[in-house]
Amino acid sequence: MDGSPDDEPGGQGQGAGSRRKLLAALIGGGLGAAACVPVIGSGLFAPDDEEPQPPRSRADGTPRKAATTPADGGTYLDRDDSYTAGAGGQAGSATPDPAELFSGPAAAAAATEVTVSTILDTSAPELHLLRRFTFGPNPRTVAEVRQVGIDRWLAAQLAPDTVPDAEGDAAWRVFPLAAMSPAQVRGAVREYGWDAMLAHAQATLARQLWSRRQVHEVVVDFWANHLNVTLPSDGAWDVGPSYHNTVIRAHALGSFRAMLTAAMRHPAMLRYLSNDESRRESVNENLGRELLELHTVGVGAGYTEDDVRNSAFLLTGRTTTKEGEFKYDPKWHWTGPVTVLGFGDANASGPGGLALGDRYLAYLATHPATARQIARKLAVRFVADDPPKALVDRLAAVYLESDTEIVPVLKALLSSREFWASVGQKTRRPLENVVASARALDVRPGSDTAKSVADLYWSLDEVGQRPLGWAPPNGYPDVAGAWASAGSMLQVWNRHRGLVQGWWKGLTYTKPEDLVPTKGSAASYVDALCERLLLQRMSPAHRQALVAFFDGATAAQAAPHLVPVVLDSPYFALR
Amino acid sequence: MTDHLHPDCPDTARLGPNREESLLRARAARVEHDNGTRDRLWSGGFTRRRVLAGAGMAGVAALGAQLVTTRVSFGAPGPGALVVVFLRGGMDGLSVLVPADDPVLRAARPRTAVSGSLPLARGFGLHPALEPLKKHWDAGRFTAVPALSTPDVSRSHFQAQDVLERGGAASSGWLDRVLAEMGPGTTFRAVGEASTLPRSLVGTSGAVALRGIDGFRLAGWEGAHERTTAALTTLYTGLDHPLAAQAATTLGALRTAGTIATTAYQSAAQYPDGAFGKSLADVARLIKSGAGLRVACVDLGGWDMHTDLATDMTRNLTELGKTLDAFATDLGPALDTTTLLTMTEFGRRIAENGSAGTDHGHGSVALLLGGGLRPRTIAGAWDGLAENVQDHGDVPGSNDHRDLLGELVTRRLGLTEANLAKVFPGHDYRRLGALT
Repeated sequence: MDGSPDDEPGGQGQGAGSRRKLLAALIGGGLGAAACVPVIGSGLFAPDDEEPQPPRSRADGTPRKAATTPADGGTYLDRDDSYTAGAGGQAGSATPDPAELFSGPAAAAAATEVTVSTILDTSAPELHLLRRFTFGPNPRTVAEVRQVGIDRWLAAQLAPDTVPDAEGDAAWRVFPLAAMSPAQVRGAVREYGWDAMLAHAQATLARQLWSRRQVHEVVVDFWANHLNVTLPSDGAWDVGPSYHNTVIRAHALGSFRAMLTAAMRHPAMLRYLSNDESRRESVNENLGRELLELHTVGVGAGYTEDDVRNSAFLLTGRTTTKEGEFKYDPKWHWTGPVTVLGFGDANASGPGGLALGDRYLAYLATHPATARQIARKLAVRFVADDPPKALVDRLAAVYLESDTEIVPVLKALLSSREFWASVGQKTRRPLENVVASARALDVRPGSDTAKSVADLYWSLDEVGQRPLGWAPPNGYPDVAGAWASAGSMLQVWNRHRGLVQGWWKGLTYTKPEDLVPTKGSAASYVDALCERLLLQRMSPAHRQALVAFFDGATAAQAAPHLVPVVLDSPYFALR
Repeated sequence: MTDHLHPDCPDTARLGPNREESLLRARAARVEHDNGTRDRLWSGGFTRRRVLAGAGMAGVAALGAQLVTTRVSFGAPGPGALVVVFLRGGMDGLSVLVPADDPVLRAARPRTAVSGSLPLARGFGLHPALEPLKKHWDAGRFTAVPALSTPDVSRSHFQAQDVLERGGAASSGWLDRVLAEMGPGTTFRAVGEASTLPRSLVGTSGAVALRGIDGFRLAGWEGAHERTTAALTTLYTGLDHPLAAQAATTLGALRTAGTIATTAYQSAAQYPDGAFGKSLADVARLIKSGAGLRVACVDLGGWDMHTDLATDMTRNLTELGKTLDAFATDLGPALDTTTLLTMTEFGRRIAENGSAGTDHGHGSVALLLGGGLRPRTIAGAWDGLAENVQDHGDVPGSNDHRDLLGELVTRRLGLTEANLAKVFPGHDYRRLGALT
């Protein structure tokens, strides 16, 4: 752990020093003024009638770096890191002996004693696995893992072509535009129409709901955010589906170098970040900058404004045809010596610029700073909002050793004690919560799957997370602090009611009173319902709160209104 | 007023910097006392470790949630509100507050320099699309500040937004710390009109994100609502997790929103269509309802104009100008106690690029609408655009954002300079003079 000296070990109790610090922070921050603390005394507030000083500049003329943080702006690795602020989550306390390496995920799971404090069931590692590496467990997926074992289940999921996926394929076929090439979209959709982009985003939601290749879907979601091209967005109308199919889905479990190279040759990315207009005589820096900041080495790598400029030079000439195909125009390529971080080249010829650009991308993909960025983001996704540094370091090393291959990194993560020890340390984001609810309730395709999935997709707007819908290029935040809001929580709760009560016509719903038998006592019904939806029971006090909910009604009468409350509960909100 | 005082606190004056603020705090303190039992339950089970762990700063919100009440006192005029509109993408200030006669600007922007700007002061003109705001300038209720930044802020959208919205090294947002300095308030004292909280409100003070007060209600059969909220209260009470605070805020806000929603209301102005107009109409409603709103945040995106600046700017400013004008009309007399501020992560390069757009720059422009402004005055340093003034081809950051924000929260929200030291730690505050 790299926390402050009074971080507590192992989550045991709280030290007096820590308490003091907390109280000081709160009172110092004025929160202690709830009753009567003269923090804001009248003596401190004097009328300020004097004329302000004549305006004078505060700029000191010192040169700025491209992406350095202001000296008083705090030092954070990236956006998500700024929310957690080196908090040192509970998962961090489970740092194992670095020498302790496991033969595989199941061995690591078996060797890990979960000591974190959580309301989730810590005794069943397959539940933890499914909560992290699928869009939500249900009794069927739990049975699948238990039948073949953790290692075999994962091995199949990490080779998704080996997993039969009739459900996912059927859902995909409901959205024919989702799989189309740019030329096909242009033949099927009026110019600049959003139909294909929306179809792809909705088909993505359908796959998250029903595909049996769940690990693939989760990892696709990760990379789609990392190399974000928003759907819908103006320039993606014809090329968006192709980008997400041929760049993200095709490479999600392949090599990052290949994915990055494909992205930087794809019209969707080139248009999204303005590189299609970047020419030697009028260079556009947009993509050159985000490539460094978001896609590879990250803001902390120490590059300068000159590096950003050179990064943009290296990408000039990568543009698109009018028909939405990639084109490299050597006449547009900026020539002359370039250097970015440790990469340099004479860059003497226009025709050589494309291959040079690919070498530059390979340099960035294999840069140690990129390895750390990607390792950390994966650990944030799968382990904890503020993941243990030792784990991140090991994953970064595996990334570089395996020449940017993604599966070995995931296997290392899954074979770590940190992963298995982190039960309940992540909070479901709104999209994950809603999709997990549908999966828990076993909502299925039905009489009008396309329309109902589209309706559900638009309804996700109110929870703040449509698939592929984050507008800026940095992807949806992946830490709970970024999502903590009363509005989003309420709208997620309301979607629980919709899924239980069948608002989106055209899907197949299980009637809430048919989820589990309604015979027997209220308490036994609540237990059965929780086991069905949460895959565990609630504490006695919480069970009692649900029993009180009946208020004289029968289980069948209460179910449509009680089942959503089970999904609203913290047991379901955590993963 | 004695019945509004906390039993331990007979001296109202000591509660706040002025009478209105003191009364508000006293009222909140009393409600807090009433709700003490419930709040102790809500915060039960918290340890420092959980507060700081995992979900980060949101954790401390459990403690902050104790400081908001659900009580609404309709009809009581609030002591004043600050509305922060964040223009995402980096608005080109030189197209908005135009140094109209600057020869450098004309030369650097052969295709995109704004012509026909409406003269304001100090050689600045207003983009013609903002014409609806000119009458507010004439009335002393609208102005702008040029060349704003924070030292060394980067040209990255995300880092620049992040740094400005956090306002320092802390992981909480600057407005969250403002709320903390203000002490207790009501549930809806701080609102972000969005699905999720803006970065500036993230922290311990229990700000509420919502998209319209009317939509803030539990769906489904109303007959089950009371049982539902009772069950959820138990399920989240004593939970050793930041979600407990989030649930407490949600359930509390549900109660208040129900009260507001059942009060008949008609907006007093016609806003342009679109999410931005809806959001500001909602903010106006919350201000006028007496729900205790002090701080509101609204986002408006689409300012990253790398291409075709002139067309996009005219379109965006047309919506912005009409919407702000509608907001001013809608507020009526409450405009005098409200200040709306626009901020953006950075300005653009002085020179246009090859796509008739501009790339990321540095110094930006803020717009101010509402009461308390120095009439018909452009405050802040401005040294023109000569090469020795430029910062790497950009407008320099001659004026520090934190000086403007500090002036706003002292004048509008009643904070002291001592409070400011906690809002912007380490910053040497210098009043800009944009407000009286």
